[in-house]
Amino acid sequence: MVEVFAVASGKGGTGKTTSTVALGMALSERYDVTVVDADTGMANLLFHAGLSDAETTLHDVLADDAPVEAATYDRFGMTVVPCGTSLDGFRDADPDRLREVVATLAAGTDVILLDSPPALDSRTAVLPVVLADRIVVVLQPTIPAISDGLKVQEYATTYDTGVAGLLFNKVRESESIDRVAEKTERYFDGPTLAAVPESERAREARRAGRPLLAHAPDCAAAAAYRRAADALTVREGSPGDAADRFRSAVVPEQL
Amino acid sequence: MKLPRGRLRRSRVVTEPRDVLADVLDRGLTGYAVFESQETLLLDAEGRGVVTFADGVPVLAYHTGTDRGGPPALADLAVPGPYHVSLYALDAADLEPAHRADDLRVPPGMPAERLAGDPALADSTRRAAPADRRDAVERGGSTDDAGDAQSAVEAFLDDTEKIEAIKDQARAEARERAAEWEF
Repeated sequence: MVEVFAVASGKGGTGKTTSTVALGMALSERYDVTVVDADTGMANLLFHAGLSDAETTLHDVLADDAPVEAATYDRFGMTVVPCGTSLDGFRDADPDRLREVVATLAAGTDVILLDSPPALDSRTAVLPVVLADRIVVVLQPTIPAISDGLKVQEYATTYDTGVAGLLFNKVRESESIDRVAEKTERYFDGPTLAAVPESERAREARRAGRPLLAHAPDCAAAAAYRRAADALTVREGSPGDAADRFRSAVVPEQL
Repeated sequence: MKLPRGRLRRSRVVTEPRDVLADVLDRGLTGYAVFESQETLLLDAEGRGVVTFADGVPVLAYHTGTDRGGPPALADLAVPGPYHVSLYALDAADLEPAHRADDLRVPPGMPAERLAGDPALADSTRRAAPADRRDAVERGGSTDDAGDAQSAVEAFLDDTEKIEAIKDQARAEARERAAEWEF
């Protein structure tokens, strides 16, 4: 089985990469998980997963200079496909090859998480959302973040991608998150998976180049990510179906 | 809310309200900003948001279209950009009568946090606020928790019509771009 999730937000700064890695680690207790840095223009997954010295990255694969296998690394119980940070790498990468990369990875894993660009302004930025089966929307309880999250959802559903759920992140105590989450859910097609408190531990983890769940597994934020992973029901699908789907044009014909 | 006309300091189109709030804080502006969304689809013809500032720190928020003030006005203001923004300077004495309207007040960091979604900017704004207003923030926070005050985010979420308009607009954009991007 394989299900592909795009972890998405309309804006940067919501803690999307921290969330992708944390969800990945939490899900890896039950599933074989592959995490891909699909934010090819502003890669930072490598810094979160202790892979800043990775020699071969998704950029090389997208430039057709390396096979996918050369850019996969086993870290913290997951398979991680980092992206490089050089501008040259970004320039030479052909985003359309991401489709093929996902298809190849789909054959050997249960869950693929695509850390997606925090924007909707280009084909490259939207592609991961198009490729995914469902999105996980990372939100802060602020008007701009919710409003951008709504836009991501509408793009996703227009392109026939479902909504797996909402993840509120960097939540402060003073924010009445239960009420905000309840009201927010009315406009989204998926439930709230968890509300993750703002956490100094998450910043420390990022500085240490380790996932939050490895750095501070007992903190409140880590517990919230585990709850989110538990709330996420991974759907059955066969790798063959997925591979075919990704290799063909994925967008419904009515568009 | 009645304000004397100020001296125009800046008038431009911005995509992010954050830039305006950061600019005002940097300049330590005393006066007000008028936000006008360029997206007429989502606004009443009369819809303009006004935020007043004392030494760069937000004091009042008011929306001319909905006639709401305080945190709910921030929600009214929060439509997708771009916005046309005009900044006006006023003497503190000219703002003083307007600033007596307690029901229009917003905690200093709230516009940055709720309108711009930028907790770091909100923190620096709170640091720049006079001590009595910093205290007021904490009171505001606890009132919020108690459910006495409707936060700006909740007011935004209660505006079904506006949210449906944002969704409709995004769907139209997504369809248009699908053709453009050859998905």
